[in-house]
Amino acid sequence: MLAPASIVVMIGIVIPIFILFRYSLNQYTPAKMMVDAFTFENYAKFFTDPFYRAVLLRTIRVAAVCTAICVVLAFPMAYCLARTRSRFKSLLLMMVILPLFVGNAVRAAGWMVAFGNRGIVNSMAMGMGITHEPVQIMYTEFAVVVGIIAVNLPFVVLTLQAVLEGIDRAIEEAALGLGAGPWNTFRHVLLPLAVPGVITGTILSFILAMNAYATPVLLGGPTFQMMGPTVYNQFAGLSNWPFGAALSFVLMTATLVLTVVSNWVAHRGYRR
Amino acid sequence: MEDDRLDIRRRRLVKGASALAGLTAAGSWLPARAQSGGRVVLGTWGGDYSKLLAKNVDTPLLAPKKYEVVHDIGGDAERRAKMRAEARLPRGTSDLQGLSAAQMYEMNEAGLCLPIDYAKIPNAQYLLAPLKYPYGLGHIYSGKVILYNPKLISTPPTSFADALDARHGSKLGIIDIQYQFTMMAAALASGGSMTNYEPGKERLMACRKAGAKILPTNEAMAQALQNEEVGVCIMWKARAVQWQKAGAKVETVAPKEGIPLYVSGFVIPKNAPNKDAAHFWLNEMLEPSAQEAFAEDMGYNPSVTNAKIPAETERRIGFNADERKRLIDLDYGYLAKNDAALKEWWDKSFKG
Repeated sequence: MLAPASIVVMIGIVIPIFILFRYSLNQYTPAKMMVDAFTFENYAKFFTDPFYRAVLLRTIRVAAVCTAICVVLAFPMAYCLARTRSRFKSLLLMMVILPLFVGNAVRAAGWMVAFGNRGIVNSMAMGMGITHEPVQIMYTEFAVVVGIIAVNLPFVVLTLQAVLEGIDRAIEEAALGLGAGPWNTFRHVLLPLAVPGVITGTILSFILAMNAYATPVLLGGPTFQMMGPTVYNQFAGLSNWPFGAALSFVLMTATLVLTVVSNWVAHRGYRR
Repeated sequence: MEDDRLDIRRRRLVKGASALAGLTAAGSWLPARAQSGGRVVLGTWGGDYSKLLAKNVDTPLLAPKKYEVVHDIGGDAERRAKMRAEARLPRGTSDLQGLSAAQMYEMNEAGLCLPIDYAKIPNAQYLLAPLKYPYGLGHIYSGKVILYNPKLISTPPTSFADALDARHGSKLGIIDIQYQFTMMAAALASGGSMTNYEPGKERLMACRKAGAKILPTNEAMAQALQNEEVGVCIMWKARAVQWQKAGAKVETVAPKEGIPLYVSGFVIPKNAPNKDAAHFWLNEMLEPSAQEAFAEDMGYNPSVTNAKIPAETERRIGFNADERKRLIDLDYGYLAKNDAALKEWWDKSFKG
């Protein structure tokens, strides 16, 4: 029964990844683009060059910050959605899902309009007298973080909401009835029970942020470099497929390792 | 029943004979087939360029001759990667690729371009000699000039050295995707040459330190000029004309050091499925009517000598006699050899 699915996975994922890995061991020459070889020099170039290490660290930092903010913002939203008995619950859920109907690039374009020197944010700030000169928001890390949070938040909300729906309201009521305040009920009852949802949401958001492309390109501009656009630039801009493939593998490995480690740490803490 | 079968056989025989006769007849005019229809897949940039190719070449000149022209729209980087990826295939997916002159050279060096058969392109007799490459044809050209807003820049710049100067601070705008031409202009301003961009690096770093704005695309620069966030930059004269038309209050100056040429043209990939139709399309591209329309619509200079450009348009988009003397072609060999290193410096040191 698993054979058709396995074949699809093999053809669609494993084989291209294998080909990519093989490319990463080749050499680059400007004229021929790629020369068959078996060398780890592309990986060595990445790890010995401070520029590329900085790009990876910046990507991890942005992904971690976005994920942390997403989880903090998503929890109360998911809790309200899970616990509400309003007849507008479907509408509220739809409002969370609605941004997913629009592509990342389109959403980033919306932020570009808002964050421009003559955009809504600067116009409001100047109108209210907060600032007299437009503040540079576009092409900054702040703009990228806001853009990525806007993309990832619905995923985290929906993941958490599904888990919180499954937690019996009576457990919370029992805790409150036994004298635990709202904070203690959240900390010692609700949060431990919601940990599987928090972990899944965290993983989802982290992976999406690590591999973000459109948002860093459009909101970060040319000087704010993250791994996704750097990989693309090597492939399409410089035709350096071997180094682009090596960068892809570094990004993939870093995402996988950090995800597995954080998952393991969270599960360990949860068991205690 | 037997009669029916016989009848069917007879009908098949007649059909077969007709088909054979048809094929023979077709064979007799096969070489002319490309002149009377076919499908051309054209790799090109999107936006205005693609629209204008359709408006000025495909629809008026190719469609009446029963050619179907399909645009494979994408950035040049993606399309070059595609050409490379398809190189091993006996039959590629495009018949023509629109590239800059430097990129055409690069693709030819990689062994991906079909030598042009100029006998199949009668209009090429009017093609400007510097735009007639063995591996491709220049379609339109412009030159790199200085754009400045007189309201923000009180002393008009006259040279690349004036424009790419740290004293402009954040009023100087630099376009990220134009890294080659920016480095070239900085080199010319700093004692470098078309075969040595190194001297310009220090100048660019000084501008960056002084707060020069790096904008991702030409369109972002247009917006920054319009918003008066940027007061001076370097750009093709053709784009400047478009931006002036759109209301940007900028003036153009042809730099003293020379006006680097920008040529946009087409190559035929070696494994193009319809090489004859590709040659035919190139011939039509050089038709005076198409070239004149491009000059009017897009502000680029025609690549043929028989195009008649109105004097007013000529004044806006062209170069006077003195300026024409200063038009300088790029060293495509130097660029192809050093592009990876130049881009690495640009990304890591200049932008990083």
